[in-house]
Amino acid sequence: MSSAVVAPAYPSPRGWWTRRRRSYLIAFLFVAPAVVNFLLFRYVPILAAIRSSLWQYSLLGGYGKFIGLQAYGRLLQDPVFWKSLTVTVQYVLLKVPAQIVLSLALAILLQREDRFSAAVRSAIFAPVVTSIVVISVIWSLMYHVQLGLFNSILTSAGLPRVVFLSNARVALVAIVIMMVWKEIGFSLIVLMAGLKGIPDTFHEAARIDGASSWQQFRSITLPLLRRVLMFVVVTQTIFSFQVFVPVYTMTKGGPLDSTKVIVYYIYQNGFLFQDMGYASALSMITLIVLLGVSTAQMRWLRSEVEY
Amino acid sequence: MQVNRPSLAIEPLPLRPWRVAVPRRARNVAARGVQYALGVALLIVYIVPFAWMILGSLRLETEIFQFTYPLSWHTFVPVVWSVKNFLDILGLSPEGRSFGLDFGRALGFTALVSAGVVVSSLIFNTMGAYFFARLEFPRKDLVLLFVIATLLIPFEAVMVPLYIVVRTLHLQDTYWALVLPWYASPFVIFALIQFFKEIPRELDEAATMDGASHLGILRHVIVPNALPGLITTALLEFQFIWNLFYWPLIAVGRKDLQTIQVAIAQQTTQTQVYWGRIFAGSVLASVPVIILFLLLQRYYIKGVVMSGLKG
Repeated sequence: MSSAVVAPAYPSPRGWWTRRRRSYLIAFLFVAPAVVNFLLFRYVPILAAIRSSLWQYSLLGGYGKFIGLQAYGRLLQDPVFWKSLTVTVQYVLLKVPAQIVLSLALAILLQREDRFSAAVRSAIFAPVVTSIVVISVIWSLMYHVQLGLFNSILTSAGLPRVVFLSNARVALVAIVIMMVWKEIGFSLIVLMAGLKGIPDTFHEAARIDGASSWQQFRSITLPLLRRVLMFVVVTQTIFSFQVFVPVYTMTKGGPLDSTKVIVYYIYQNGFLFQDMGYASALSMITLIVLLGVSTAQMRWLRSEVEY
Repeated sequence: MQVNRPSLAIEPLPLRPWRVAVPRRARNVAARGVQYALGVALLIVYIVPFAWMILGSLRLETEIFQFTYPLSWHTFVPVVWSVKNFLDILGLSPEGRSFGLDFGRALGFTALVSAGVVVSSLIFNTMGAYFFARLEFPRKDLVLLFVIATLLIPFEAVMVPLYIVVRTLHLQDTYWALVLPWYASPFVIFALIQFFKEIPRELDEAATMDGASHLGILRHVIVPNALPGLITTALLEFQFIWNLFYWPLIAVGRKDLQTIQVAIAQQTTQTQVYWGRIFAGSVLASVPVIILFLLLQRYYIKGVVMSGLKG
């Protein structure tokens, strides 16, 4: 009986070009611009990077002869590449934990719904929407050896001057401090939303049982915030690994390569040394490292969520 | 102790009696005091750099260095208030013109680029999200995977290859190089799918009954009902493109196509650095945007939380 109903619909008068296929085509037209964008500007660049790292390539001369994995071999023996990878990992390991711990403390401190807390939250939020160029330009003036605000405060308090950006041992930390200051507002917003998701009754019950604030934090807030916390750790790690602008505006990778992060090294090779092939090989390695980091972190996130 | 408290049944004796030594109310007052003190310290830490920038832009170059040490009122507040730095940076004073400064043009051009990206991304991301939220398509999950996977591509790390592609398309050094790569965004498509799914499907069906096409449904049902979501994503896109630096730095070399961020960064690489002009340029590039965001904070925070928690 059902076949009697369906039968006339199938061998349609127009053959292959059915109503259903027509509606699929119309549907696809809606997503087509986005698909073209992602194909052209997100996937094709990866193919271009693979190609220009395997063939000789220059911006003016185009593609030359096949050189295979030479660029990757050179990379493995390039001490500056290893240095830049180390610097990037140092940056991430300094910045992400500091940012997460501080923003969690601030989220708890500022979770009250009063005007004062709201004002403080707005102030912390302002650098998040301010351009990183403006922030790093202003901070590099604040870090200035003779005329900067920080040294003005230090010397007025009778302390010795600090050479912030031209001292190889301090420069990276100076950049980390600035970036934590700038980006803390972002993780603060996400963590506060997470805190709001914890029902008040849990804390009330604990209080009635005589739990101290610290006990409540350890055994209620932290476990229930775990998923949100891990999400912030994952995204901030990926973002921080790609830091570029503060290095470009404040130190140009110096002094003594102490702030030469990987993305700055890629930029330097591609646009200052005009070596696009090598820059592409570096891009590919960074891509692979980051894919590894994010898959590992995603797996960790998923395993934890299911517990 | 505390025999007169009737609430003993609900609050049993604390495990650590020494904790009760300070009355609860006094402890609360002390805790609030500490909270306020920390809050004020935070306000100072966050407002001082901005205040230093804004007040520094309103004083004369020589004066900036005169009061650096020792720290005093005039380290921040100008003795003589002046808008000379703004006139210089906008190329409105003879001195500014002699340096070839024209931040007004850079601001206008950046506004044009931002408008192009915000408008086109509103159109194309809305269409894309409508496809995922409402339309039927065979193996739509694969199309979604194609979009999700782009999130794994590290953005800054592939700027050099992106430049190679844009150059192959002969788009380098044009307005289009700054707009075309950003007219669609996986983040925005995801956020919009969430917003669209909250709109009841019955509304679409009613519109279809009245003979509305997909475009009609988008215009009369989806867009009006998802307006807060669209404002949020427009804000996020605006902030992203206005503040973008690395891509405009490499994609465009012509001085007349410089965005405001590139123009500011360039001020710091000159042989002689004019602090007042850097302050003024930074104020022009950031203060209007900060005010806009503080006014629309609610929408922005919603967007961050959505991309942060549901992503």
